[in-house]
Amino acid sequence: MIACVRLPALPVLAAVRQDPGLRGRPLVVGENAGRTVIAASIQARSRGVVPGMSLTHAEQCCPDAIVQPVDQVGTARVRQLLLRTLYRLTPEVEVSDAGYAFIDLRGSTWRWPDRDVLLETIDGRIRALLPARPALGLGATLFVSRLAADRAQPGAPRLVDDPASFLEPLPISCLPLDDEQREYVELLGLRTLGDLRRIPRVAFRRQFGLRALRLHDLAWGIDPRVIPPWRPPSRIEESTPLDPPLEDMEALQFVVRSLADRVGELLAAGGLGAREIVIRLDLDGSPPHRESVRYAYPLTTGQDLFDRIRGRLKRVRPAAPLERITLSVRHVEPAYVRQPGLLLRRDGLVEMLADAIGRLQEESRPELIQRVMVIADATPVPDRRYRLRPVTDSP
Amino acid sequence: MPDRLQQALTVLETRFGSAAPRPAEPRHAVRSSGIPELDALTGIGGWPVGRLSLLAGENGSGKRTIAQRHVALASQEGATVYVDFRARLDPEFMHRLGACFERLLIVRPKTIKEGMEAARVLARAGAGSVCLDVPRDAKGLDAELPHLLHRAQDAECSLLLVHDAEVEDVIRYYASVIVRVERRRWAFHADGDLAGIEVEAAVLKNRMATPGRRARWLLEYPRPR
Repeated sequence: MIACVRLPALPVLAAVRQDPGLRGRPLVVGENAGRTVIAASIQARSRGVVPGMSLTHAEQCCPDAIVQPVDQVGTARVRQLLLRTLYRLTPEVEVSDAGYAFIDLRGSTWRWPDRDVLLETIDGRIRALLPARPALGLGATLFVSRLAADRAQPGAPRLVDDPASFLEPLPISCLPLDDEQREYVELLGLRTLGDLRRIPRVAFRRQFGLRALRLHDLAWGIDPRVIPPWRPPSRIEESTPLDPPLEDMEALQFVVRSLADRVGELLAAGGLGAREIVIRLDLDGSPPHRESVRYAYPLTTGQDLFDRIRGRLKRVRPAAPLERITLSVRHVEPAYVRQPGLLLRRDGLVEMLADAIGRLQEESRPELIQRVMVIADATPVPDRRYRLRPVTDSP
Repeated sequence: MPDRLQQALTVLETRFGSAAPRPAEPRHAVRSSGIPELDALTGIGGWPVGRLSLLAGENGSGKRTIAQRHVALASQEGATVYVDFRARLDPEFMHRLGACFERLLIVRPKTIKEGMEAARVLARAGAGSVCLDVPRDAKGLDAELPHLLHRAQDAECSLLLVHDAEVEDVIRYYASVIVRVERRRWAFHADGDLAGIEVEAAVLKNRMATPGRRARWLLEYPRPR
């Protein structure tokens, strides 16, 4: 079972959160560059304002509308708040900017044996967080749950046990039709999902093509899509002050090595790997110095992390003694991403070799590792026909 | 092998340790040298994987041709590294030997340390075979060799060292197979072209099979493509 939480569009929520006086008023959030409507409050939508129309048209539909530019930072913050709140209830969540949040309730039975309690908790948490009351819909698939949420009232969740009878009377516009399909459907006189379902699948495929079979499946409530799960970003950082300030670059290597080991232990504890490592050197009376290295795959151990940053450290010539060293890793993700390389040795081999070649070339010079290029159209003089070139890709 | 015989061997191994009878088949993984006579000479079917092999001999004895044959063959099977300390590798000759240039990485270091570090990193990263063509004066090689050998053991990589000069005792110690090559005579085709050289090779040291074997064969030079 999937729960869909319907809220006003996130840009609208961000604007209302910024200025509570806008709550309950016709608000249009637009993009200044394209002069188009990005999102509209319920009051504005009730007067015919829809996302995608021009701002001029929106002002004609709703003369007293308050038009505001999109607050990108505020929208991202609202999205993060919503995701973090729902993630605490169940780990499979996703939020779209259109104002729909999807929660996979499968597997949460042990923690939430009573579904009504869970729905009440979701409602309460969101109301405490955002200036809006959510409408909740429950269905077997993403498509059905979203339609259920569209037809639910705030405070009264809509549960769809029988998708066939629920979808039967719904208008055909519920389906994600493109312009051509919409026109064709109108020509055929199909008004509801029930009308569409009465067309045999084979005949539908013949008329609309193979790709449009997805629409037929949706009309029957079949939606194979799954929620792409969101995961909270992890930040892992280790720091050590240096008193007295450090001037010896050899000693710097030892300090970074110990920091890398500590970060490696934290990564291992969480079953995580990192694709980027950043070292910040705070200098005595000078601006801090930063070094960062990115990798093709997540690194998991302190040894790996240190090996990759060591070459950069050797070249560091700080302008002043070091007061503090901070090592942090970014792009943290589950370490299992690296494991296919263990199962498919060939793939892992290519990736690791490419990484090693890149590092060696970066640490010394590109000409260190070369490959023979055969120039087929050159004269048959060996020096012209065979050239050694620095490796730029993996073998 | 029958169970009773296996049981008897286990009992003997428990009682006599390394002196107990052992199966004649090689216990170690090997990579073919590309020369059947040399494969037979080593007693295990080629150069051992995860160990160091040493090809020694005077200038013009044919040891580099032997090594490059192995590199060409290995490059057909997977990533192969040729550490060209002397910067004298002839790509055309490698092409004649059938090397796969897509998988052949040529390392041209400025110092012994740089070359050994590159070999170590690439061996660890998954290169199947590493050939080190070291100069006559290879100062610092003995200090770097244990680290490289350690990586090669972990990564199942075969190491082949080609050396002109009389090698130091330390390198002799780390090598599992030492083959000394000598040129006996030049061989020519009927039309007068050089066909190759007749070489005589002797196994001076072998940790996997019986040392002391000798063999003589014609090491043919490949015809231009």
